[in-house]
Amino acid sequence: MNTRANSGTPDPQAAHLDNEIASIRTESKHPAYHNTKHKAERTNSNKSQVQNLKRRKRFLSSSLLASKNIQPLLSKPLTSLHTELSPLAEAADTHSETNHYRIAFGTTAFPFKDPSPSAPSENLLGIRIDVSTRNGRFAKPYYVLLRRERVKAQAEKQLRVHRHTIPGFISVAKLEGFYLPSAFAGRGVEVADSEGSEEEAEAETGPMKQKKVSVRRQDLRGFVRELRRELTAWHLRCDAVDLLRERLGLSEDENSGSGSRSGSADRLSPESKAGIVSLAATTSETRYVRLEWEDGRVGRFKLTNTGVVERAVVIGDLGRDKQVEDAMTGAGGRIESLLERLRKHAPSPISP
Amino acid sequence: MAGPKQARIRAPTTASLPNNLRIPSTAHSLTKTLGKLSRQALLDLALTWLDDKNIQSFPPYLQQEQNNNNEDEEALPYPAAETVEEVRQVYEDFQERKGGKREVLERILEGDWRQGITLRQLAMADIRHMDDHPASLRWTALELGRIDPKRKKSNKSAPEDWSSNVPRIQAASFVKALQREISPLVKAHYHLARSSGLPLTILRIFIVDSPYQSPRQTPEIFADSSRVIYVAFPDSCPYIYTSVSASNGPKTPAPLTSSIATDPRSLQRLVRDAVPKALSRPHERYTLKATALAAKNLPTLLALRGAGRSTAANGSFSIFADAALEGSPLDPRPSNTVSAQEHMRSGHRHVKYDDKENMNPAQNTEKSSRKSGKRVPGVDGSAGLSPTSKKRRLAVDSRFGTAAVSLTPAPLDRLDVRLLDGPTSGGEESRPVGGMPPVSLTFSGSDVIGGIRKLAELGVIDPERMPSWLTGEEAVSMAVVRDGRRIKKND
Repeated sequence: MNTRANSGTPDPQAAHLDNEIASIRTESKHPAYHNTKHKAERTNSNKSQVQNLKRRKRFLSSSLLASKNIQPLLSKPLTSLHTELSPLAEAADTHSETNHYRIAFGTTAFPFKDPSPSAPSENLLGIRIDVSTRNGRFAKPYYVLLRRERVKAQAEKQLRVHRHTIPGFISVAKLEGFYLPSAFAGRGVEVADSEGSEEEAEAETGPMKQKKVSVRRQDLRGFVRELRRELTAWHLRCDAVDLLRERLGLSEDENSGSGSRSGSADRLSPESKAGIVSLAATTSETRYVRLEWEDGRVGRFKLTNTGVVERAVVIGDLGRDKQVEDAMTGAGGRIESLLERLRKHAPSPISP
Repeated sequence: MAGPKQARIRAPTTASLPNNLRIPSTAHSLTKTLGKLSRQALLDLALTWLDDKNIQSFPPYLQQEQNNNNEDEEALPYPAAETVEEVRQVYEDFQERKGGKREVLERILEGDWRQGITLRQLAMADIRHMDDHPASLRWTALELGRIDPKRKKSNKSAPEDWSSNVPRIQAASFVKALQREISPLVKAHYHLARSSGLPLTILRIFIVDSPYQSPRQTPEIFADSSRVIYVAFPDSCPYIYTSVSASNGPKTPAPLTSSIATDPRSLQRLVRDAVPKALSRPHERYTLKATALAAKNLPTLLALRGAGRSTAANGSFSIFADAALEGSPLDPRPSNTVSAQEHMRSGHRHVKYDDKENMNPAQNTEKSSRKSGKRVPGVDGSAGLSPTSKKRRLAVDSRFGTAAVSLTPAPLDRLDVRLLDGPTSGGEESRPVGGMPPVSLTFSGSDVIGGIRKLAELGVIDPERMPSWLTGEEAVSMAVVRDGRRIKKND
């Protein structure tokens, strides 16, 4: 029961590595080796050391196996090692291929089997969305699992969202209501969408309404497209705020330790910081960003999905600071150049 | 300063209870409420009150005041200080040396704030207690839904934004609106605070059934916890949590007209009904819906009804929420060779929400790290094989996912299930015995789902056949079950 799209192979490699790990473990521990688990819990330092080595070994070996230079060599049965190596090479090959798809398209599908015995439909369609972030990595993949439901009135099965890991501020229920309209919408866990429940009533009552149902077909591609767009926009917003924080020397990156962080903050002259002492998103949604200036003014701006400062409010002791507000939203309003625009405006309000 | 002595003339108003309404320090309940806090918390609070920002609101008792009414003050154990600085020094000294919390508490009540503790100070103390003990209250999660009759017409064009029904809340205007809603019926004191560790804004509402600014009730009433309602607003998600029990839903007709609501319970209900109205604006109406989840732990609510990944993926689907299944696309290791633990570790820093949860040390990492990362093989019922326990473990992991080691642990303290099917005859057949009344099950403990998992690991429960509402997959604490499936109540 392969629960995922890639790596259909049973795990000879895993088994092999497990043996390796077991041998490393026995070496690193007392000879009396009964219960791996308890021992491992007891000897914590050893464990972490072993784990580090293990991780490194896996990383290196799989990099090697998946590399373009090694792959063609392994596919030829030249040595006696071939029988042992070829499953490993195959697994690595499949895996790197999957990764290529994930990097290139960002959205991949996979089958998943619901282990629950009372599940309405045990075969689920999984969708995985990968979003790359500013630090050159990928965010944790987002998943949507769809189930197929048979509708009485219609021949084909309809898709419903079963489970998902989309953050709460993106309304999967709304997206589903629009792109995956269904007669079952009214019975979902999520907010009953008004359209869905309306259609439910229609589908059951009148044949003339049947027309309308058939007009709105389920559009899985549209669903995934919009969902991915929202997720990407969110990550871009986060990245933009991170960028601004970094430029202001406010970034709390774990790579630069606390010492160097304060150093970078000190290096920035007050002018280059435009007098800003704090800049942070108000919530994890990063739709609104709060600013604080050293003279006590506070501001807030709204960031659109396209990275434009849509609205801004700055309030000081003397009321609203319209000039700075205009500077924030003006000139295209790109978030990336926000600091430059503020710098130009910085001298005038600071002088009194 | 509406101290009880000065309030000679009293007229009913619709204003809220003032922040500076003082509760006499001699009130026994005050000692009890403040006594719940730790020594460190008391010291922190006292120093916050003495902070330059707050000193106007909570002035300590000083020498010059003593001179004005200099009759019987000598007998008190704490001589009044001359300056605020001096008072601050006292608490800083407390901070440096060790000691019980008794001395701090007595100093606060009988010394520096002998004239009384204001409502706001009491609210701050309560919020601090909640920050320190996130499991001290029972919270009910409610969903904010938008009432939007026009949506039916907008069938053709896609709405431009897909964000959920999270109303933008400006704290002050929300409180004003709430005050407008409830002021004719309830006199209240409001206190807004940001939770120190969790992405939550907490509103504390203290309610009294008096129309007067300085109610004449006994001072004990001010520290009566049944008169305090908490409403918590988690960041960026369409839910709110309240400390009011949701035994009667919002739809029950409120007997407002018949009886004058004076008991704390009906006052609480009034406030609860007012919350969605206060959140609404013209053309943007909200309603609250029950979500069948109540738990003692705020982190649990945040995990199950929050903005994070785990809101709609629990139980066996928690592997997706924790991304324990596969790594990043840049990872060269085939994902079945990497443990779930490692998958979960890599990349969790990208979501701010997760970071906080990581403070909880993931205990016994070794246990399921190896197993749940593996593919779940098709488990057939044959138990005759030698590695039975291993097989069972795999099945358990497939049903419960990463729940035991999750980044966002969500222990439920109570699970109420009502089975409409009736008990099954033998265990082999799932046919209900005819005419049996429905059965209600209640599980309670520190972590119900974790306990059920343990039972499954021990082989008491068959992990392959157990229904999904037992594995925490439904993320509810109250469920009605028919045909092995939870019935979803939808209007």
